Amino acid sequence: MESIAPAAAVSRTAALPWHVAAMLVGSTSIVVGILWDISWHMTIGRDTFWTPAHMAIYLGGVLAGICGGWLALKTTFAGTPGERDVAVRFWGFRAPLGAWVAIWGALAMLTSAPFDDWWHNAYGLDVEILSPPHMVLAAGMIGIQLGAMLLVLAPQNRAAEGRGQGVRRWGIAFVYAAGAVLSMLTILLTEYSYPNSQHTAFFYKASCGVYPVMLVAAARASRLRWAATLTAAFYMLITLAMVWILPLFPARPMLGPIDNPLDHMVPPLFPLLLIVPAAAVDWILQRRGLRGKTTNDWLLAVGLSAAFLILFFATQWLFAEFLLSPASRNWFFAGDMQWSYGDEPGAYRYVFWQLDEDPVTPAGLGTALLLAILSTRVGLWWGSWMSRVRR
Amino acid sequence: MGELDVAGAAVRRRLLLLFLLFLLPAAVLAHVGSPNVFFDGEAGPHPIRVIVRPPEVVPGVAEITVRLKEGSEGGQPERVTVQPVYYRTGIEGAPPPDVASPVPGDPGLFAAQLWLMTQGSYTVRVQVGDGVALVPVVTAPTRLKGMQRGLGIVLAALGLFLFAGAVTIVGSAVRESGLAPGEVPDVRRRLRARIVAAITGVLLALVLIGGKSWWDSVEAEERADLYRPFAVEASVRDGVLALDINDVRSREWAPLIPDHGKLMHLFLVREPGLDAFAHLHPVPRGTQERFEVALPALPAGRYRVYGDVVHESGFPQTLTDVVDIPAIPAGPATDPDDSWHLAGNAGDGGLTWLKIPLVAGREVDLRFEAKVPLEPYMGMMGHAVITRPDGEVFVHLHPVGSFSMASQQAFERKLGVTTAHAHGHQAVSAVSFPYEFPRPGRYRIWVQVKSGGRVVTGAFDVRVLPRT
Repeated sequence: MESIAPAAAVSRTAALPWHVAAMLVGSTSIVVGILWDISWHMTIGRDTFWTPAHMAIYLGGVLAGICGGWLALKTTFAGTPGERDVAVRFWGFRAPLGAWVAIWGALAMLTSAPFDDWWHNAYGLDVEILSPPHMVLAAGMIGIQLGAMLLVLAPQNRAAEGRGQGVRRWGIAFVYAAGAVLSMLTILLTEYSYPNSQHTAFFYKASCGVYPVMLVAAARASRLRWAATLTAAFYMLITLAMVWILPLFPARPMLGPIDNPLDHMVPPLFPLLLIVPAAAVDWILQRRGLRGKTTNDWLLAVGLSAAFLILFFATQWLFAEFLLSPASRNWFFAGDMQWSYGDEPGAYRYVFWQLDEDPVTPAGLGTALLLAILSTRVGLWWGSWMSRVRR
Repeated sequence: MGELDVAGAAVRRRLLLLFLLFLLPAAVLAHVGSPNVFFDGEAGPHPIRVIVRPPEVVPGVAEITVRLKEGSEGGQPERVTVQPVYYRTGIEGAPPPDVASPVPGDPGLFAAQLWLMTQGSYTVRVQVGDGVALVPVVTAPTRLKGMQRGLGIVLAALGLFLFAGAVTIVGSAVRESGLAPGEVPDVRRRLRARIVAAITGVLLALVLIGGKSWWDSVEAEERADLYRPFAVEASVRDGVLALDINDVRSREWAPLIPDHGKLMHLFLVREPGLDAFAHLHPVPRGTQERFEVALPALPAGRYRVYGDVVHESGFPQTLTDVVDIPAIPAGPATDPDDSWHLAGNAGDGGLTWLKIPLVAGREVDLRFEAKVPLEPYMGMMGHAVITRPDGEVFVHLHPVGSFSMASQQAFERKLGVTTAHAHGHQAVSAVSFPYEFPRPGRYRIWVQVKSGGRVVTGAFDVRVLPRT
């Protein structure tokens, strides 16, 4: 069975090892499952432990647990010297770093289950994404996705140093894994990312605080020239697939009160056009920020963040206006399709919200820039560290 | 793995605000400590008893049982369904009905669970064959649930394991993940790994402290959102008891509507012996923020005050206070239907309780026989009030159950449905009240019936055994 270290074996088959492929499938399954589950709750409402959306999420956890566990047991007890040489130790066991992170994620997901169940019994079934038990669940899911990312990152870095082959293949797998993580981050901010909220200062502050870290880290750690762009593209593709596929399924609300009769699954929001600022991140890093080309990451962070903010703001500000217009009300953009069974029809759907309470001001944009600088700087540091991960 | 729910919290908050402004209140319930709703009536030709056990949190699951009683015309129906109908959205906004499953070993009993997603006034639309009955239910968070010790220990252990695992993984990552294959970490790397692991531990601890504070704030919000009826103040002056509703919400909520022809049914119970009882009908003075009633000749003392009212949407609540009543001569009664009972009077009012064993949490028929034919008293063949000496349970029952008739009528108007009741106005000499005592202990039951134009009240002390 091919394994983690001998890249030669990998290159012969020109495919990813099964456990890596399975982890990437698991990471995707989690994103698909969460988007499906959100749609389920918005459309049908009533669920059980066994809904297909939940199954997709569990599949991600199970794949991560099995692959991570198998890697740890195999490397510890039956690993070849080559495999053991590219493992890190954890309480006497050995496995690649990504396996440990994924196992941790699977356990965190398991832990969140009784916690969330108790939470619903104590405070009622929540109709929100952000709650303490959901954060434990999210930490677990993102842990699995980071594990998948690290699992392809180490072979990429070793291959780039001439200790293996398939730099490009591992590189694409890496940005795909990063795209899945980015998708999770956007899901966590869904409640603040309705097109109607995209003219508020908070939307830009939250986006600048959260998204640059992943885009910049991916760009710096990847050996591909357009890594941030590809990361954003994979995020958009995964989300778009759900935007286009979910409404094809007929469904109707099973909980009331029903203010918005539905006959199909509600799609997620049209993805943010992160590909635009991501391309600028790549462009700048190619010139100023790749390994050895710059000396001061703080200065670089300022430049990257300014580019991110300007392009993200300009793109999303205008695109939000389009999404609220009748021109977006079709299957492609799914404008006006994101409302749940409990959302009354009304003029509020077609206007920007909180323009008075939270308008975009120079001060607000300044705060967004500061958050972007911080996020970018962390991304640069994290990306540099990831570019050195070999195990 | 729990439900990672829905987006659009902002939208929901807006809508919630709209509900609060235009519809009705947060949480109120027409009882004290006795949340289950009992219904005895008919769904078309089928006599049924429905018990709804509302959730203690919202959204939450209501447990519903439908019992087909003897006397069904046209044979046993094949299908029993239940459907939650929210007052504001009506039948058009209701989810499809759920089929209630037969309970094995108990022929004629059907059970179902219904999700009630929003606080407010609901009716459960019960369909038995072609017959329909409406059972009004209100939803409101009534309790904060603590965490069981066992679960707390398991979660704490898992949390500790995750914490230690995360710190260890970070340490391992710093120590070894950057090493070339086969390379052994040197002392510097090991030291750095320890330092970074320690910093990670501190940062994680800060994250956990932040998480705990978030949890605490959710708990505080939920606590603030718990059921509390309008704040009221009872006072007595010149033989008149006044009940002032001192609650800003009273101006925002839908107005009160009459139940059995009265805007308020007010019950007085003397502490601590429960030896004096009155059922009065105060009338509003000016606005619906002040109600007044002339007091009958009650012995002086401290009385518990329970005022049952129903809002226009069918939303009932019980307003409670305590008042000191001085010795006063009886004034003219405000309402001819006012009635009272003192310990010195004949205890049973000529009524006989057909004794049965009472067990907490078990459905019973409290049946009382009179020696004379009974006539309707405020539209019902009987009224029963049940309370505990500690005041933690108070409920006003009718032979048709514990729901508010005014609530049911509000829904009947809204849905265009008429619910028939098994206990009509035919001449009878016995009344029966469906009930389930919520907790073991001593209770006092006052039963009120009318005969020969006179209201008689019987008082009965009962002991309810714990469920074994």
